Amino acid sequence: MTARAGMRVGLALLQLVAVSVGVFVLTTFLPGDTAEVVLGPLATPEQIEMLRGQLGLDRPVWAQFADWVGGLVHGDLGRSIATGRPVVDDIGSRLGLTVVLALLAVVVLVPLVVVLGLYGGRHPGSPADRLITAATTVAHAVPDFALGLLLVALFALQLGWLPATAAGSVGLSGLTAPMLVLPVAILVSNQLGRLARQVRIGVVEADAAEHVAHLRRLGLAERTVLLRHVLPAGVVPSLQQFARTVDGLLGGVLVVEALFALPGLGSGFVAAVQTRDLPVVQAYALLFAATTVVVNLVADLASARLVPQAVRL
Amino acid sequence: MPVSRRSFLAGVAGAGALATLAACANGGAGGAPQTGGRLRAAFVAGGAQETLDPHRLPQFMDQARAKACFDTLGRWEQDMSCTPRLAESWEPDATGTRWRIRLRQASFHDGRPVRATDVLYTYRRIADPATTASAAALFTGIDFAASRAVNDRELEIVLGAPNHLFPVALGSYGSEIIPEGTTSFAAPVGSGPFRFVSFTPGGPALYRRNDAYWDGAPALDELEFLPVADESARVGALLSGQIEYAHDIRATSAQQLASDSRTQVLTAPGAAFQFLYVKHDRPPFDDPRLRQALVLGLDREALARVALLGRGQPGNDMFGKGLQYYPDAVPQRTRDVDRAKALVAESGVTTVELSTGVTDPSWPAATQLIVAQLAEIGLTAQVRNVPPETYFADVRKNATMHFSRTGTLPVQNWIATTQLSSALTNSFSKYVDPEIDRLHAQALADPDEGARAAAIGSALTRIHDNIASPIWGISDWIVGVHGDVKGLQGFRPNTFDWANFAKASLG
Repeated sequence: MTARAGMRVGLALLQLVAVSVGVFVLTTFLPGDTAEVVLGPLATPEQIEMLRGQLGLDRPVWAQFADWVGGLVHGDLGRSIATGRPVVDDIGSRLGLTVVLALLAVVVLVPLVVVLGLYGGRHPGSPADRLITAATTVAHAVPDFALGLLLVALFALQLGWLPATAAGSVGLSGLTAPMLVLPVAILVSNQLGRLARQVRIGVVEADAAEHVAHLRRLGLAERTVLLRHVLPAGVVPSLQQFARTVDGLLGGVLVVEALFALPGLGSGFVAAVQTRDLPVVQAYALLFAATTVVVNLVADLASARLVPQAVRL
Repeated sequence: MPVSRRSFLAGVAGAGALATLAACANGGAGGAPQTGGRLRAAFVAGGAQETLDPHRLPQFMDQARAKACFDTLGRWEQDMSCTPRLAESWEPDATGTRWRIRLRQASFHDGRPVRATDVLYTYRRIADPATTASAAALFTGIDFAASRAVNDRELEIVLGAPNHLFPVALGSYGSEIIPEGTTSFAAPVGSGPFRFVSFTPGGPALYRRNDAYWDGAPALDELEFLPVADESARVGALLSGQIEYAHDIRATSAQQLASDSRTQVLTAPGAAFQFLYVKHDRPPFDDPRLRQALVLGLDREALARVALLGRGQPGNDMFGKGLQYYPDAVPQRTRDVDRAKALVAESGVTTVELSTGVTDPSWPAATQLIVAQLAEIGLTAQVRNVPPETYFADVRKNATMHFSRTGTLPVQNWIATTQLSSALTNSFSKYVDPEIDRLHAQALADPDEGARAAAIGSALTRIHDNIASPIWGISDWIVGVHGDVKGLQGFRPNTFDWANFAKASLG
């Protein structure tokens, strides 16, 4: 297992290199550059050329890339072309907010998924199961932006219980708990349906397994059977989906960030692409790729830990 | 991608617009304004690359922040004429090349007086290509070696060529006066109604009342600018009381705000010109018959009603309706399907390309309508969607027919930056007409106001007749404010009073 885990890490590093080169090549194919975007539509060609020179964009793209890779080898992600500030500062100011949002969503999501999936799986076809399935399907089907507008209209504008946006906050500074309630609710709602249904199916199958029936015949307490045997086996098939969910949350959630004026990684990445800020785009891409690799690795390890016989790393 | 100032820049109104503007005022009778409080104003912003340099203003929010902290020598009125502001007066010599400007008694936030040398330093910095200033083109005609400070409150500016419209530059956005020697804007010092307190690039900017302001201290204690890129988030924040001013509201949201007792809608009629440019230097629109067919085939009434959601008016293929020097006598161009069909048939063209995008919220609907209207005159339009962040750079080079829009600007400035032969590389239509160059130069050189108006009017008429800048509609500019806010009106972007909170109050 250790050797396989080592191979996975090696493969992950290769993936990061491939992502870095791929993003660089794709970004250079995008029309326009930072100077054009920053100066706007009425800028004269002379002004654009002047700014290009000031920003170093008149150098060959391979030289810019080589500089960036050289810095990366020494742990330096470089400086933003548009702001001149270290890329780490630009991303760092957004990372905290995204991590907090993702953690809160996971903390709310996991118990809900487990309880709803376990209950539905243990009582398939019951009225409660049907209700849970219908509700989670609807929650999953409603797009983020529509649910967001609906929740804002109800809880912020009609009832006045919660703020409509996080306007005025900068990263985590100025952010209050009520500002996060609606964003987290939307993130949870979107993922709840898919995950709860997968856990439910897993539980139904695990509950009907021969070895579980045998444990019951041996007289093991039902609680032990459920929590030690049915639930772990029922959850494993959902772990990859859960990993994708966490990966998505850590990659920034653009619609929720836009709706609630939350400056997280998603909007930061889009802004970097829009300004053709290559070092920042590269850093975001590396971060997202690394997150994907790590989260999936952790999911595989968790599967192996829960049901060792069922998983090969 | 939210609507940004960079994608807007310059545009105007219809007949009777000033009267309508007055009707949109919310600061009417009701006694003295209440003092104190913090007004929070939300705009689309430029993100982490933002600075507080008042001479580089790519976004509307940059312009609004500059207005809070700094002053300009002149002010652009709603018809884009320019009147003195920080300047007490200006006077040209007989040739229009030598301008004597007298300054008001005013001081910067650090207590230093505003002096003539500060003004010269400012204009030199703006004209310096290295600054890449928004208003650079307006100040490059100054002969800085010959210009001088007469004394602390008087200066003489010498121009390389006669320009009786030079004072218009003094009211431009991006011409804010900074203290001599300023090179950093991390904590800007201006002479405006609010003093800088704090700023995070891509985040809030906070200002506090300048009690020593020469035009009277503002009623507000504090003014905070907040970046909220999404329009629905700005509307939500306004309705829930998180902000008091939401800039750039769509027509659909305006309906909602107008029907809510907690908010009010401020509308500047005819504030943004909606263009449908065609390239004159390449097929298929190098054929004048096809250009003529295009403008005769457009149903402008339908476009204004549907694409602008009734918050706009039909355009007449000339920039500047409602502004100084606009020739009102030119008849409105109307639809003539039969004539347009015949012209298309004569040209032999059957297919054209239409570049569009989402830079303006009206464009998707306008695209559908125009495709249908062109089909009626025998033209098949193939639509090409261009992403917003590089829209203007792309269509300038690649499109043969494309949408564009421009906000309020002095008409002569619009001609200078888009219609003169010297502006060809920057032009959307690649239209060249030496007679427009001549008329523009004549307008600048003529000391007589009537002759100037006639020259600029003639230039616009040629632009209309030669279909240099087809304009299908003129849209309103909408701002949402909290019900308690007083002292603001519906003003056209780029004018002095737009996004100016010096006279605003929270009650």
